[in-house]
Amino acid sequence: MAYQLYRNTTLGNSLQESLDELIQRSSLRGCVTFTFSQSQQITPQLALQVLLQFDKAINSALAQRVRNRVNFRGSLNTYRFCDNVWTFVLNDVEFREVTELIKVDKVKIVACDGKNTGSNTTE
Amino acid sequence: MANSANTNTVPKLYRSVIEDVINDVRDIFLDDGVDEQVLMELKTLWENKLMQSRAVDGFHSEEQQLLLQVQQQHQPQQQQHHHHHHHQQAQPQQTVPQQAQTQQVLIPASQQAAAPQVIVPDSKLIQHMNASNMSAAATAATLALPAGVTPVQQILTNSGQLLQVVRAANGAQYIFQPQQSVVLQQQVIPQMQPGGVQAPVIQQVLAPLPGGISPQTGVIIQPQQILFTGNKTQVIPTTVAAPTPAQAQITATGQQQPQAQPAQQQAPLVLQVDGTGDTSSEEDEDEEEDYDDDEEEDKEKDGAEDGQVEEIHRSKNKWKFHLKDGIMNLNGRDYIFSKAIGDAEW
Repeated sequence: MAYQLYRNTTLGNSLQESLDELIQRSSLRGCVTFTFSQSQQITPQLALQVLLQFDKAINSALAQRVRNRVNFRGSLNTYRFCDNVWTFVLNDVEFREVTELIKVDKVKIVACDGKNTGSNTTE
Repeated sequence: MANSANTNTVPKLYRSVIEDVINDVRDIFLDDGVDEQVLMELKTLWENKLMQSRAVDGFHSEEQQLLLQVQQQHQPQQQQHHHHHHHQQAQPQQTVPQQAQTQQVLIPASQQAAAPQVIVPDSKLIQHMNASNMSAAATAATLALPAGVTPVQQILTNSGQLLQVVRAANGAQYIFQPQQSVVLQQQVIPQMQPGGVQAPVIQQVLAPLPGGISPQTGVIIQPQQILFTGNKTQVIPTTVAAPTPAQAQITATGQQQPQAQPAQQQAPLVLQVDGTGDTSSEEDEDEEEDYDDDEEEDKEKDGAEDGQVEEIHRSKNKWKFHLKDGIMNLNGRDYIFSKAIGDAEW
């Protein structure tokens, strides 16, 4: 089962919000005799399935389609390791990629154990 | 233009993930008896939110392609680069989903004129348009675009309007603009004069029904058909006025003029071009200012990073991080890495 780690990213959040919208939405159907019926557009179950599919897709996309490296340096404010999940908060961090340098005052890193997941495929 | 390779790969990656997910869940949707239209709505919502978040630049590379096309087609008058500041005016006001009850048939006439032209909407001019949360396929289905005309891309203009690029079988590209309001502002590269129109115009404006249930409103504009001169607008009168969604049919065969049979005349087509009297540009500027203010405020644009751990190492208070496959959001923008190595002192 793929990590659900990436649900709290821009991509994942926008998907969750969209799904929520569709769940909340009800479609109004009116007919001539002015009776209306409402039905959910999608069920929460279906939304869950979509999210699971998203987990698989994003995990595999990251593992296979991304090939770049980033370095960073900063000062560690807090660290936590609970339920096999690391959470760090760093301050005054510089992220360095080949092409650009990004500075942030504060960054929170959430990382799951990556040893058990399929290693990067060699293509 | 963005210089980092990351800003080129991130949109592509997101796009491919979206496509993968949508395709993978299509079966699930169908098994559950959910209409394909809902799937397309999901896709549209998803993409809209991504665009709204401004976390990804150049999300639609089609924009640049269109710009290139326009430039190559010797009409540089009304071009504007799409900035990275997308001013969102589209709000999720339309909560009532669009029912695919329309029965219209739109067949864009074959292009005889020059190479396919594309309307590049002027960012300042497009206003007052609420981008409905219609996906490309949903609008296509709604307007019953014939096979071969498939919405290809969605473009978000500066003012946050959602356009859809529709590519017809003949290779021509049209910009299809679903909208709820009737006000349409656009500039077209003036190619042909009113008298010299060869390709018939198929133009529909579907105004919202007064009943509260809003069917699709859409405008398919073929270039060369609309001339904007100064502050006046002219609609070349080969078009058809707004037909009723469920009843009107427009058929165009070959080069003939389209025969529109609107059963009811909806709200009239109103085209506006704002020249100097543009008030919404002020809004745009205000929005821009607001955005800057946000950055200056203490509302930290944090960074957040999700990834997987290859190794975490500590020696006294020196920590070393080896991470992989991560998505970062730094200062509001998204970045992706396959490997990240870091040092920090605690």
